[in-house]
Amino acid sequence: MFKKRRYFVGGFVLLVALGFLLFNVFHSYSMYYYTIGELKAAGESIYGERVRVTGQVAEGSIEYDVENRILTFTISDEEESLPVLYEGILPSNFDDGVEVVVEGGYNSTGVFEADQIITKCPSRYVPAE
Amino acid sequence: MADLGYVALVLAFAVSIYSAAASVLGKRSDRPELVASARNGVYAVFGLVTLASIALIYALLAHDFQVEYVASYTSRDMSPFYTLSAFWAGNDGSLLFWAWVLSIFGAIVIFQNRRASRELMPYVSSVVMATLAFFLLLMVFVSNPFAKLAFTPTDGIGLNPLLENPGMVFHPPTLLIGFAGFTIPFAFAIAALITRKLGDEWIRSIRRWTLFSWAILGLGTLLGAWWVYVELGWGGYWAWDPVENASLMPWLVATAFLHSIMIQRRRGMLKVWNMVLIIIIFNLIIFGTFLTRSGVISSVHTFSESALGSLFLGFIGIALIGSALLLIYRLGDLRAEAEFDARISRESGFLLNNLILVVATIAIFLGTIFPIISEAVRGVKVTVAAPFFNQVLAPIFLIIIFGMGIIPFIGWRRASLGKLGRNLLFPSIVALILALVLSLLGIGNWYAILAFSICGFALSAILLEWFRGVRARRRTKRQNYLGAFFSLLWGNNPRYGAAIVHIGIIILAIGVIGSSAYKVESEASLLPGESMTIDGYTLTYEGMDEYIDGKKTVVAANLSVYQGGSFLGTMTPEMYLHANHPQWVAEVAIRYTLVEDPYVSLGGWDEQGVAAFRVLVNPLVSWVWIGGVVLLLGTVIVFWPDRLERRARSLKQGQGGEL
Repeated sequence: MFKKRRYFVGGFVLLVALGFLLFNVFHSYSMYYYTIGELKAAGESIYGERVRVTGQVAEGSIEYDVENRILTFTISDEEESLPVLYEGILPSNFDDGVEVVVEGGYNSTGVFEADQIITKCPSRYVPAE
Repeated sequence: MADLGYVALVLAFAVSIYSAAASVLGKRSDRPELVASARNGVYAVFGLVTLASIALIYALLAHDFQVEYVASYTSRDMSPFYTLSAFWAGNDGSLLFWAWVLSIFGAIVIFQNRRASRELMPYVSSVVMATLAFFLLLMVFVSNPFAKLAFTPTDGIGLNPLLENPGMVFHPPTLLIGFAGFTIPFAFAIAALITRKLGDEWIRSIRRWTLFSWAILGLGTLLGAWWVYVELGWGGYWAWDPVENASLMPWLVATAFLHSIMIQRRRGMLKVWNMVLIIIIFNLIIFGTFLTRSGVISSVHTFSESALGSLFLGFIGIALIGSALLLIYRLGDLRAEAEFDARISRESGFLLNNLILVVATIAIFLGTIFPIISEAVRGVKVTVAAPFFNQVLAPIFLIIIFGMGIIPFIGWRRASLGKLGRNLLFPSIVALILALVLSLLGIGNWYAILAFSICGFALSAILLEWFRGVRARRRTKRQNYLGAFFSLLWGNNPRYGAAIVHIGIIILAIGVIGSSAYKVESEASLLPGESMTIDGYTLTYEGMDEYIDGKKTVVAANLSVYQGGSFLGTMTPEMYLHANHPQWVAEVAIRYTLVEDPYVSLGGWDEQGVAAFRVLVNPLVSWVWIGGVVLLLGTVIVFWPDRLERRARSLKQGQGGEL
């Protein structure tokens, strides 16, 4: 049994090492995923934090300055809406009504500064209603 | 025709349940006629599900838009190629495809073993049929591919243009084939546990099934990465999206399994471990299939809830708890035939490799499901971004690659450290020289240099061992180098095929390291005639074309690419509007080379003629695809019967026996 114990110890050490690694890295890259309402309700506590917010692009809200590559639009869900600012080229698949996840920061200006916009993939696996 | 399809599914569902039950019943009560009837049931189910599949294919090609599935995913203007691919484009169809593939595999495995493994086969058959019954249940009651609309539309909605890409056509079926394939080894494992035939028999029977499924799953995953790179246009090929992880996790555990069954075959060890692994693989696969279809994790692919989710969870619950209980029940029979003799041996090396692969899978799994857990526990969703996975997994995978260099030099049972040191001298020197050269060339960061050195170490170790084998064979067989190379390769397919697979992985790793560590990015808004520079390239915006291509309105920007003054070519990123799809879609322009890929996206233009561009230079991405190809080639070689097996087969045939 002594020999087997060696392997259990080895495995245990590996798992502990993994846990340590996970824990350390996790802090840097985990972020809250909010609805617009939750974001606003969180208030000052999340200013400066990196978060993700989901919503639909509001009709007619898209404005794009090609010269300076600044995109502004509003996302909304059934209850709330949120203005978003993004610096970069126009994302693919991006238009009124599209469901997006924006990643970035929020502060007292009330405008969400996104540095990443994720448009949801074509809904392939939506079951028949 | 569509009704015929549905009826076929209902019948198949009934027969599969019958077959699963009769198989077990007949075996336990010693009624061979029941077992034979159950076997026929397997063939019948195969016929019925094939019929249903043909019905769907017919409905698709005949544009039967009253069938909701056909209307949702095809339109009249689509080519037959893409119309056919709509089979697996949506949930219902992909379930049917899963079921079809599984029914084919079930029939094959029953036929293959019609005169062998009489103890195991009834239970193997039962597990396969039970799994098939589950998928059929989903289709018959929840996700019917043949569901009809109340009216018949004149035309269908059509396929999303992002999916009209050859890679995307082959990616789902390849994955599904890989997924379904692992049902077979799982079925054999359960059968072995039930019958207590826990020796070599089940392992021998599943070797090729496992290899095949592993390779196809790997191919499917790579195709998905290829599609991400070419179609999604953000410049990368892997985002650690839950659905991507769903195919990677079983593949990693399957890699571990492939290695550990070798140990069980050679030395009769790791029996419990192998059982645990295959149970994990099967359940990860079902779990991954579940992830894609329920709205549980907000991922790029999914966003809707349904009854499907609960049914999948129920199935996983039964499969997981059932197999775990069975395993615990049979724990006493899974005694190892040998002990680990020494601390350092090839066995312990393999075990270490296994543990590391499982650890990597655990890390990915935790990161993937964390949003669900945090939402359930704290009411707030916490997501984990891509850098988490990259940072955690990079060291883990580097250790594995390092192991690829060392472990082949460690002997079975025990290693002589002195010999090991001598063998590893050359690879270590190569690694050091490589590290020196890279740092002198100023190719940046130490982490990447370390990673490249490890790859160099492993690669040179593999090549060294191979060279020694060739040299020895040349002497003993008096062949030239080329002749010795091939006779060595074909003389021992598993060993040298595996070496090629490892080389493929290392090439892939080099591609991953290069593209992760050295990516360069820039953006610019240009008028025609203006240029931008990035990383030694100059891109001049020549102008824009607008034209109609079938159902697409295309806006294409032409850029001339120069490097160091010489003209390389024209790159044409586009944005197009497809009649079936309300949003403008970007089509990235990529220039593939061995060294790096310039990668240009068009993102917006205005009336003044200014166009906005994003340019990336992605180093070494082509190595990822090349590594994948080498990996598959190596797998084919491993798959091929080696000299011993060929000789055994021809002997058997000569004696008038069958295979």
